[in-house]
Amino acid sequence: MSTVAAGATAGITTTARRRRYMDRKSLLPLLLFLPPSLILFTVFVVLPMVDAATFSFFDWNGYGPITDFVGFENYADVITHRNFGTAVRNSLIVVAVSLLVQLPLAMWCAIALAERSVNINILRTLFFLPFMLAEVAAGLIWKFVYDGNYGLLPAIGGAIGVEMPFVLGDKLWVIPAIMLVITWKYFGFHMMIFIAGLQSISSEVIEAARLDGVSKWQIVRHIKIPMIRSAIVISVFFAITGALQLFDLIIPLSNGGPSHSSHTIVTFLYQFGILRMKLGFGGAVSVLLFIACVIVALAYRRILFKVEQN
Amino acid sequence: MKHIALAAMLGLAAIAPVQAQTVVRHLHITSIPAEVELMNSIAADFMAQNPDIVVELPFLENEAFKAKLTTLLQSADAPDVFHTWGGGVFYEQAKAGFLRPIEDVLSDEAKEAVGSAGIAAYTAEDGHLYGVARDVAEVVLWYNKALFEQAGVDPASMETWEGFLAGVQTFKDAGITPIAIGAKDKWPAHFWWSKLVVRQAGMEGFQAAARGEGDGFAGEDFVKAGEYFLELAAMEPWQQGFLAAGYGDASGYFGDGKAAMHLMGDWDYGAMKDNSANKEGIPDDQLGILPFPTIEGGKGDPTDTLGGLGGIAFSKNASDAAVRWVEFFNNQENQAKYAKDAYYIPISKGAADVMTNPFKVQIARNIGNAHWHALFFDQALGPNVGGVVNDMSAELAGNSISAQEAAELIKEAVDDSL
Repeated sequence: MSTVAAGATAGITTTARRRRYMDRKSLLPLLLFLPPSLILFTVFVVLPMVDAATFSFFDWNGYGPITDFVGFENYADVITHRNFGTAVRNSLIVVAVSLLVQLPLAMWCAIALAERSVNINILRTLFFLPFMLAEVAAGLIWKFVYDGNYGLLPAIGGAIGVEMPFVLGDKLWVIPAIMLVITWKYFGFHMMIFIAGLQSISSEVIEAARLDGVSKWQIVRHIKIPMIRSAIVISVFFAITGALQLFDLIIPLSNGGPSHSSHTIVTFLYQFGILRMKLGFGGAVSVLLFIACVIVALAYRRILFKVEQN
Repeated sequence: MKHIALAAMLGLAAIAPVQAQTVVRHLHITSIPAEVELMNSIAADFMAQNPDIVVELPFLENEAFKAKLTTLLQSADAPDVFHTWGGGVFYEQAKAGFLRPIEDVLSDEAKEAVGSAGIAAYTAEDGHLYGVARDVAEVVLWYNKALFEQAGVDPASMETWEGFLAGVQTFKDAGITPIAIGAKDKWPAHFWWSKLVVRQAGMEGFQAAARGEGDGFAGEDFVKAGEYFLELAAMEPWQQGFLAAGYGDASGYFGDGKAAMHLMGDWDYGAMKDNSANKEGIPDDQLGILPFPTIEGGKGDPTDTLGGLGGIAFSKNASDAAVRWVEFFNNQENQAKYAKDAYYIPISKGAADVMTNPFKVQIARNIGNAHWHALFFDQALGPNVGGVVNDMSAELAGNSISAQEAAELIKEAVDDSL
């Protein structure tokens, strides 16, 4: 008992001493390096967020002073808006496709392409290329691909004798068409994260497993995937938050149409908050989205924590 | 000492030209290359005559312009003068104090040139003048004579709504796309709804609804206008994939001779050529303008027109030099150049006289004789209600909403903004 207590006290004093030491040593870099990022973060992230939250309680068209306080009316308007449900549904579909299609595809490619060789490097670059393209450029390229009059898709359809619909003008096809572009655009990014993780696995471990006669699938299932757990955790987090914030691919592709059927939460905000000059309404959407993101982030941490304990 | 003097002189030399020159930034939305060239040459003439003023002509594409202007006007990058369609957005800008009143600075000559209609359009509710009218525009039913002949449709038979629908059916039967429409951008679809409202409800009806009186836009006439629109939409008269087509696509489709009609502003005369595959569009002798079909029992006057009264607005930092520039730009001599090349119909007195383009001449006459020249509804009603009108029009064109529901949603938006 007493040894434990003594050990504990000793522990406290050493940490305290270390902390004091750290304080002195880290104060200067702290003063030097923290302010720039803190100021940038405050000016470009925190203040606009506070602003948007303030707007959300006012009826304001973007011009002149903000005076018309309306309480929670904007929030009620958002929730009862005839297109808000569609926007939320679409954003959830993007999350689902990201997690269930994009990440497994990225993992599959990563496992196939984790080795180092020239040919593989070329393939890897090819898959990563879409991610390096600007979103708007990618959107425009695919708009041309899908164009029903001059596009690549109807040309292919014509060659095999199938009449293709105008996918971006068709309520049924527009969402699958956008999902294809999203997967094409972002799976390379996740693939790279996974490859980096896979390459850090010591080859001895794999070698030992092989000698023990473990099958390829078992190596993937029981060695590779568990060992790049942290890479997967990061990827899933990026995929979810990225999906919730999807905006710049949609605008050139479908602009949320036809009949507002392909809006995500953010394009919904832009269309009905910014373009319609109802900034209070837009503020309310952004606050709701922010709350959703915070909930996702916290829930994710909590789930991970539980998994870790098990 | 010598060095100091030299340095001071150099310093002065460096500052002097900067102090003397005033920069005027004129934000425009002109995308046709030859028209931009004309604008540049007018600016060059002006700068040659006024060496102390530099005119810059930044450009924003139509949709980007609408989206960015609100923020731009409140930033340090605000242009001195900028394109405007007048109406609801312009009044909001004036009310919020983002514009400069110019009635005391603008010359009498320039005021006279735009006439009383031009002055009235750019006088805000507070009685101040904030802009200069530049052009008038009308939305007309363009048609392709060759395709009419091919399908055997007599243009004269389409003067009534019933006749029009029968003509559309004949085109369908002949395998020709009757009408091109850029429904992705929505405002092209709202021209159909607007023209039907102009015919059915007329000026008094529209203005009362805009003020939210009675049943407003949910009133009988507006539901009826929506029903007429649905009647047309049910025939699937538009080109394939019209919901994915923007204005430029539809304009090109018509210009390529693939659709018989296109309800569009007179600017489409040039844009249709520019958007067509061969850049030549439909030759003049095969292009025609149909009067919009009349509706039995409609309250509108047959001479009513729908269109624009575009202008140039002055932002609150506009200098006197900016006013000088706009006076020069908008004078008869320079505007006659626009009229001559048929880019638009200038409002500046006498400028349109040189117009030889038969279409523009006819449109100018239409507007001159109109009992009511209705301003584009999406501009007249402001961004929010206008946006809903555009949404509903695209839905009606796609036959995916009832006339009653569309009318009620527009009324709701009006009530919301009152």
